[in-house]
Amino acid sequence: MSRPTRVSDLSRRDREEVTRIDKAPLAPLPPPLDDPAALPAFSSLSDQARERYDGALDGTIALNLPVPSGPDEERTLVARFLAGLDKLFERENNWMFLEPLVLTMEHCAKCQTCSEACHVFEAAGGEDIYRPTFRAEILRRLYFKHVRTGGLLAAWHHGDITVNWPLVARLAELSYRCNLCRRCAQACPLGADNGLVTHELRKLFSQEMGIAPKELHDNGSMLQLRAGSSTGMTPAVVRDNVEFIDEDIGEKTGLEVKTPWDVEGADVLLVHNAGEIMAWPENPGAFAVILNAAGISWTMSSELAGYDSINYGLWYDDAQFARVAIRHAEAARRLKVKKIVLGECGHAHKALMVVADRVLSGDLDIPRESCLTLFRDIVASGRLKLDPSRNDFPVTLHDPCNVVRLMGVVEPQREILRAICPQFREMAPRGVDNYCCGGGSGFAIMSGHNFRDWRLQVAGRKKVEQVLEAFADCLDPSIPKYICAPCSNCKGQFRDALEYFGLWRDHRILYGGLAELIVNAMTDVKPGFIEWEWH
Amino acid sequence: MATIVLNGRTYAVDEDGFLEDPTIWNREVAEDLATTEGINGLNEDQWKVVAYLREYYLQAGMAPMIRKLCKETGFKLAQIYEMFPSGPAKGACKVAGLPKPTGCV
Repeated sequence: MSRPTRVSDLSRRDREEVTRIDKAPLAPLPPPLDDPAALPAFSSLSDQARERYDGALDGTIALNLPVPSGPDEERTLVARFLAGLDKLFERENNWMFLEPLVLTMEHCAKCQTCSEACHVFEAAGGEDIYRPTFRAEILRRLYFKHVRTGGLLAAWHHGDITVNWPLVARLAELSYRCNLCRRCAQACPLGADNGLVTHELRKLFSQEMGIAPKELHDNGSMLQLRAGSSTGMTPAVVRDNVEFIDEDIGEKTGLEVKTPWDVEGADVLLVHNAGEIMAWPENPGAFAVILNAAGISWTMSSELAGYDSINYGLWYDDAQFARVAIRHAEAARRLKVKKIVLGECGHAHKALMVVADRVLSGDLDIPRESCLTLFRDIVASGRLKLDPSRNDFPVTLHDPCNVVRLMGVVEPQREILRAICPQFREMAPRGVDNYCCGGGSGFAIMSGHNFRDWRLQVAGRKKVEQVLEAFADCLDPSIPKYICAPCSNCKGQFRDALEYFGLWRDHRILYGGLAELIVNAMTDVKPGFIEWEWH
Repeated sequence: MATIVLNGRTYAVDEDGFLEDPTIWNREVAEDLATTEGINGLNEDQWKVVAYLREYYLQAGMAPMIRKLCKETGFKLAQIYEMFPSGPAKGACKVAGLPKPTGCV
């Protein structure tokens, strides 16, 4: 490797990248992807893109930052950044995360335990800018120099930093090179949370400067607040689509499938990530089959946002987060349901079940449950007739970071798989020590320029390695294999990675949710619910 | 906003190569956009997919469910990937002049 990248490199006024990850040697992968020359090429940014957008960092672009018109605009942007920096450390402006942020700023022994825990740092062959501590070090120097106004003494003690537009722009891009999986935070012996640092930086950029990926903001949370779903589905379109799913799944299973809508007083309001309805309809279809067969009193809501658990604000903007979380709770309150059950979507779990605790009060504080514990209870109750021999193929389990590491929901999904999948095998490491799929924090839906190469070759590399190791004994394409990934965002990443590396085409590795495996084992259902076709 | 030149004509597209203005779409534009998918001349099957996407989009203001697309056109998803290597959303929708599908799809 060339000389280490330094914090000061990010303030360079030239418009060159501080490193070129598209040209760097990445960590080796196990067979059959062990020949680097046979892997898909990491495409380079076009000259047009490099000229048009600022924040040259590593050879890819997430944000499309326009080049300021001149020194005046640069100064204005830097001033807004510094004003936002102050707000991050004020109680009245950061009631969500002030305490852990200050703790992280004040206490870091720079031991690099977190770097060793980071899949992005490892996959990139130890590239310095991807260290969780690198991002935190920049924010720490800014904190001591500009928030605590420590002057020369702080510069000597904590390291100096030059604040200019190039630094701000590169730091904005750098805040979109972390999956927010918080494996680093779990590894820290002192309890510093460098994942939170990424989150707080994204928040500063969005809330103070209007800088956010358009996939998450314009086409994400803004569209959701306007149309009802980040997919663009209005209440009328979602009803029509789910009716189609009911018919389709009815034909496939031989059962009558009916999704109840807007049932007042139901026990359960089920909220899916609406992407499931659009891209993986067999998942919401399987939910309907299971809940009906188990005799659960449930409903879906056609209120604006009541049918889409997505809350992208979780990843980049507390205000957008709160707006959407309140919509979700309001939909449940209006229907007077006993609880909200979240479908197979990791970030929606964290958003509504954990972080929304800071937002929802009074009669909006409606109980929330994970579908994984509900499924475990249903399977354990014996209410479904299940035949594990219908699932007699190799199955491995992906642990969505937000559900597993963050919330500690580790065993329920495993109890189910042990009961219904005779060839279930774990990945290593697993559970709360899992690795992110590589699509976390919104990356799974970001693919502008060559960002898709970055998220599949770098962010997703460790997970591909884990999958290949879990199936090392059965890579033969005559054996169909299933990655159970109970999370929409993770499924999007698996779909792209399996296609990119040819692992479905050459080795018949497929992916899907947990509900599908349960229905595939139900004896009341026509055999072959899982179709082993690319989806 | 970026521009792309296809068969001598210039189009304004987003970072993923989708048309910035879906209303300028016509059959010639579709043929031009198809070249970005490595398709020189759309065949009858590919037109069937494109026509369905376009019709649905004009009605609903968004792309259809992938499963609906398969059922209505009679093609399996694998066949659609054969016709449009980047898949139904990033490939076929692009050729049909739709905006890039949004959300976790």
